[in-house]
Amino acid sequence: MARAALAVTEELMRIGVYFCRVGVETSGGANLESVGHYTANLPQVESVRSLGLLPRIDPEAIADEIVADELDRIVIAGDSPGFFKPAFTRAMSLAGREPDEVRLASFREHGVSGDGATERAKAIAACAVYGVPFTLAAQPHDAKWTSATLVIGGGISGIQAALEIADGGKKVYLVERTGTIGGHMAMFDKTFPTLDCAACILTPKMVAVGQHPMIEMLTYSEVESISGLPGSFRVTVLRHARRVDEDACVACNICSDVCPVRVPSEFDAGIAERKAIYIPFPQAVPNAYLVDEASCTYVQTNGKKCGVCAKKCPKECIDLDARGDVQQLDVGSVIVATGYDVLDASRLERYGYGVQPNVLTALEFERLTNASGPTGGRIVTKSLRHNKRKKIDEWVFDAEGESPRSVAIIHCVGSRDTNYNAYCSRVCCMYSLKFAHLVREKLPDAACYEFYIDMRAFGKGYEAFFERIREEGTFIVRGRTASVTDHDGQMVVKGEDMLSDHVVEFPVDMVLLAVGLVPADRSDELARMLGIPRDEYGWFTEADYNGDPTGTERGGVYVAGVCQGPKDIPDTVAQASAVAARALEGAMTGRGLQSLASLSLSDIEARAKSLVPAP
Amino acid sequence: MAIRANPKLIEELEPYGAEDVMKCYHCGNCSAVCPFSADPYVFPRKPMRYLQMGLEEKLQDQLDPWLCYYCGECSDQCPRDAEPGETMMSLRRWLTARYDWTGISRLFYRSWRWELGAILLVAVLTAIAFTLFGLSQGSLASYDGPNAFLPSSSIHIFDWALAMVLLAFLLSNAARMWWFTMGRDKTLPTSVGSYVRSLWMLPAHFLTQARYGQCERKGPWLTHLALMLSYLTMLVLIMFFLADMAGGPGIDWRVHVFGYLATAGLVISTILFLRNRARKSAPQYRHSHESDWIFLVLILVVALTGILQHILHRSGLDVAANVTYVVHLSLVVPMLALEVPFSKWSHLAYRPLGIYLAKVRATALARSREGDEAAQRGAEPAAPLRAA
Repeated sequence: MARAALAVTEELMRIGVYFCRVGVETSGGANLESVGHYTANLPQVESVRSLGLLPRIDPEAIADEIVADELDRIVIAGDSPGFFKPAFTRAMSLAGREPDEVRLASFREHGVSGDGATERAKAIAACAVYGVPFTLAAQPHDAKWTSATLVIGGGISGIQAALEIADGGKKVYLVERTGTIGGHMAMFDKTFPTLDCAACILTPKMVAVGQHPMIEMLTYSEVESISGLPGSFRVTVLRHARRVDEDACVACNICSDVCPVRVPSEFDAGIAERKAIYIPFPQAVPNAYLVDEASCTYVQTNGKKCGVCAKKCPKECIDLDARGDVQQLDVGSVIVATGYDVLDASRLERYGYGVQPNVLTALEFERLTNASGPTGGRIVTKSLRHNKRKKIDEWVFDAEGESPRSVAIIHCVGSRDTNYNAYCSRVCCMYSLKFAHLVREKLPDAACYEFYIDMRAFGKGYEAFFERIREEGTFIVRGRTASVTDHDGQMVVKGEDMLSDHVVEFPVDMVLLAVGLVPADRSDELARMLGIPRDEYGWFTEADYNGDPTGTERGGVYVAGVCQGPKDIPDTVAQASAVAARALEGAMTGRGLQSLASLSLSDIEARAKSLVPAP
Repeated sequence: MAIRANPKLIEELEPYGAEDVMKCYHCGNCSAVCPFSADPYVFPRKPMRYLQMGLEEKLQDQLDPWLCYYCGECSDQCPRDAEPGETMMSLRRWLTARYDWTGISRLFYRSWRWELGAILLVAVLTAIAFTLFGLSQGSLASYDGPNAFLPSSSIHIFDWALAMVLLAFLLSNAARMWWFTMGRDKTLPTSVGSYVRSLWMLPAHFLTQARYGQCERKGPWLTHLALMLSYLTMLVLIMFFLADMAGGPGIDWRVHVFGYLATAGLVISTILFLRNRARKSAPQYRHSHESDWIFLVLILVVALTGILQHILHRSGLDVAANVTYVVHLSLVVPMLALEVPFSKWSHLAYRPLGIYLAKVRATALARSREGDEAAQRGAEPAAPLRAA
């Protein structure tokens, strides 16, 4: 075989290029016609053919073309062209050519999207024609590196990355939008599949971040702008006015006690209330209160009313007139770990969220079943209470409320659905099973139904967890639920149980919606600011799906956790550690690679040519 | 008994309009939102599965497609854009072709050129035949009376002869439908009694299309009902009162009232359907098979030439009236002879028959299940507390 390969390189190779499409969307907006013309003009390219959308490839017909054009090498160009490779390999072998001489020009995989999509696609095609791996030819230039790192987002991903870099001895700035680090994981009751207490894993890490000499936390802050080049970014951080002195506050709670304003608590996913001056949760880091300016009477009336908290504070650390501030940071690398939001369940009207009081989203249930939640972890249905202040009856959780006799858990709410999110949110199957366990554990007499499409128990120990939940007596129904309706005060869940071939209606007292994950609010702004692309659903795009899952198009900017695509806690932590190693590389050596975008088509083409093995 | 799968079945269904079947990943949403899906006929997911698996024989035995009215709720909510409603529609076309022993239906559904060509051929032959017949025994200048070009007595005989031929085709196809769905299954404990007891459903569903009315949106049902009742009224008038319609200026006012109502119904409902299909205004109008267009246009032009003929006759323009009459007949004959037994019109028989047979079958299944139902329930992992 080695001899055969040598034989073809010795004389001038004749190359055929085939364009294939797997999706209606053309390769991130690249002008494929222009790429085709460019490819046709490359030396040694004999023929360029377009096979269109999802072609049914007949190896024999291709083999005839190979023989007719006397082709020695074939390049398949398109998004995920490996999909078509077997047919072409067969065609090469049928034509009596070297079957290994099928090269892929993988547009999507090498980040063809956005403004430079067409140029990038040309470069990828050129590399494939020359038979040189794109990642080898497209090596960005070297640059000097500032050792400090900026981490955007203080969830488990940002915390893990920050800790590892700081433990490596390098400076980290951790910017967090809310008043505390911890993110979504702090809200969770248990983790799957181990059923560990989520807070027991997270809070020690949060405290470590708060105390680490190499980490500077900037909570209640947002990245406003970013300039400079990889290795020497200049970041402007907007520090919102916390109105409470972080260092002086001892979290005595007197201010909250006297505050007259009540608004839904973000940390409790809206199922409990907080005051306008509040601490997100007792274990918050930094362990200090903050003022929510949107609901504070003093701030909203420009100091004309209220202000009682400032008067009562024994430490005199509340300054209701404080203004926000701007801080400049010089960093070499930026780690994006902005996480996710959950889908707005009221968009799926047929599940009655927002109409039926006892239809809850996953996050709401996490808080309900959490021992630190509003009911002390008791799973109860909402009770009707009269709100004297607003003079209306409203449904609220009450620790003394009635327990549900039956609970339905609906999977894939807004996920794997072309009307909402076409992708799988990856965590819902397992957290739904966890919910089933918690329901059965706390309410052994309650019936629990899981409605699923496919059970995605893909991780280590997940299948065993699924088996365990089944044995615990949860009814697992294969079939997505069509609707949640009210029949004379009784909620009824309707779906097809396809394994028993019936349409079934279960009367239930509580419905849990396994809502999917969506990119965090204002990810688009951040992506523009950082110059990194997002995929069709809004998740940040990694540089190379297989080879570089933490890097991005932009040198020195890395992604970790769910902001790159839905993933569970173990995967998030693993990716955060990986990204820390990437950031440390520049911080330790003082040098690193520039953006891929700094390379022009001719740069890549020239380097690819120079890398062609000599005959 | 093993079931033989036909891996090319989906490809075979494509000309009938099924395009996105492979997209289905079986979440069951469609079956659960369908207002008609209930034990023992749970659809459209199950037929989608049979299609994906290529279970041709099993599909041929299904009555489910005839229970679907294509309200489009399933297609609207489908998370995969797999168009389950359109799949059910194309299955009805495919079943029609299966029931038809002549193979003409299959030819028409698979190629609109054949359907249109056959219609034109029959139209031309009809026109020639009636012209020759008219000239041989009457005068073109005379519409009615003793020397009439096309005397109603002769047309009357022709109508009944054609009706008998159509009935023979339709009945033999309906018998095949019964054989596939009921007769062939020897394990099905049907009784003559259950056939008789449910017999009322045939005329009831034929005349009211009551099930269609259970769809959430009532518009399509009303338009459909108007079209069917208008057609039926016209059929009754032609088959029994043709002489009254053709007779001179003194037409019986009752014939007049019914005739005008039926004509208006035909014109308005076909125009509404054509408009909806052109605008793709609802899920069930998003996909139109060629046979849908041919059918609607054919009815519309039949109605319009009928109106024109009537106006010309009433205006005393007998020559023009006779020419229009020939044109009208040359459209009516292919509509009846080709559309009723072999194309879209045939569902006027299969639909009520399907509902009726489904009822008989459900009764029989319930009886055969009675014995072991308790045991079966115990074995199911998720015992339904309330089965819909």
